[in-house]
Amino acid sequence: MRVEYINPFVESAFGIIQEVLQSQIVRKDLYLKKTSQPVMGVAALVGLAGDVEGRVLIDMSQQTAVKIASTMNGEELTEMDELAKATITELANMITAQAVTKLFDLGFKFDLTPPSIITGDNMQVSNADVEALIVPLELPQGLVEINVAIRERM
Amino acid sequence: MKTTSDFPTINERTPDGKREDGAPYRVLVVDDSMFVTKQIGQILTSEGFDVVATATDGLEGVEKYKELYPNVDLVTMDITMPRMDGVSALEKIVEFDKEARVVMISALGKQDLVKKSLMLGARNYIVKPLDRKKVLERVVSVLKS
Repeated sequence: MRVEYINPFVESAFGIIQEVLQSQIVRKDLYLKKTSQPVMGVAALVGLAGDVEGRVLIDMSQQTAVKIASTMNGEELTEMDELAKATITELANMITAQAVTKLFDLGFKFDLTPPSIITGDNMQVSNADVEALIVPLELPQGLVEINVAIRERM
Repeated sequence: MKTTSDFPTINERTPDGKREDGAPYRVLVVDDSMFVTKQIGQILTSEGFDVVATATDGLEGVEKYKELYPNVDLVTMDITMPRMDGVSALEKIVEFDKEARVVMISALGKQDLVKKSLMLGARNYIVKPLDRKKVLERVVSVLKS
């Protein structure tokens, strides 16, 4: 997988999170996984299909998701309720929309699915034939991973 | 906190959401995200606007507009929604009331749809992520024009 596919997602995640949470983020080292990877308790999943195909996963622990949703709503949420889910969905929407604009500018054309929110314990994700690139972002609310598995359509 | 009774008023500014006669501007919020609806609602309510109704898709938005008319001053309209998107809903609302004041709420990367909306009669647009300043600036400029 080419790094140029993940950079727009990481850049826009960085920018959007900084803007909506008004907090400092530390970008940690990118790593590559060929096998299945563990997914933390809350994952926002967006599919891509067109010149490039694959998926983007933004995942975090349930605790982190609730803290992020609380900050974005300006009130203390205590559980992963409908509002918290709608908030994380909106965060994923904003991140992918901005990243996709950057990829369109590079000449790639594709469609996106609306984000799905998946919650649960001990989850894993695997993608046959395409490795995933992962960039962890360290926020005051906890760790958020941008996990991208995209390839050019053959 | 009730400070008004304890302190002299040094700021006579009318809140953005009120007309000169003190009556609030009435807003219909159309958005499929509970988060965005709440966010817009909080920003507008804090400035004295009255969010008279919300709708979660374009079709419901058009229906609510027709129900409320003429007792509605402004619509905030999301673009990507199920059942009927915001651009089609805008078209239907403007068809029904060509004086309708509709502000589009858009994610980044939807410039083409925003342009189309402006040509179809949307008065302005706001790109997400939303913040208080951005929302109030655009909404007020539409109401005052």
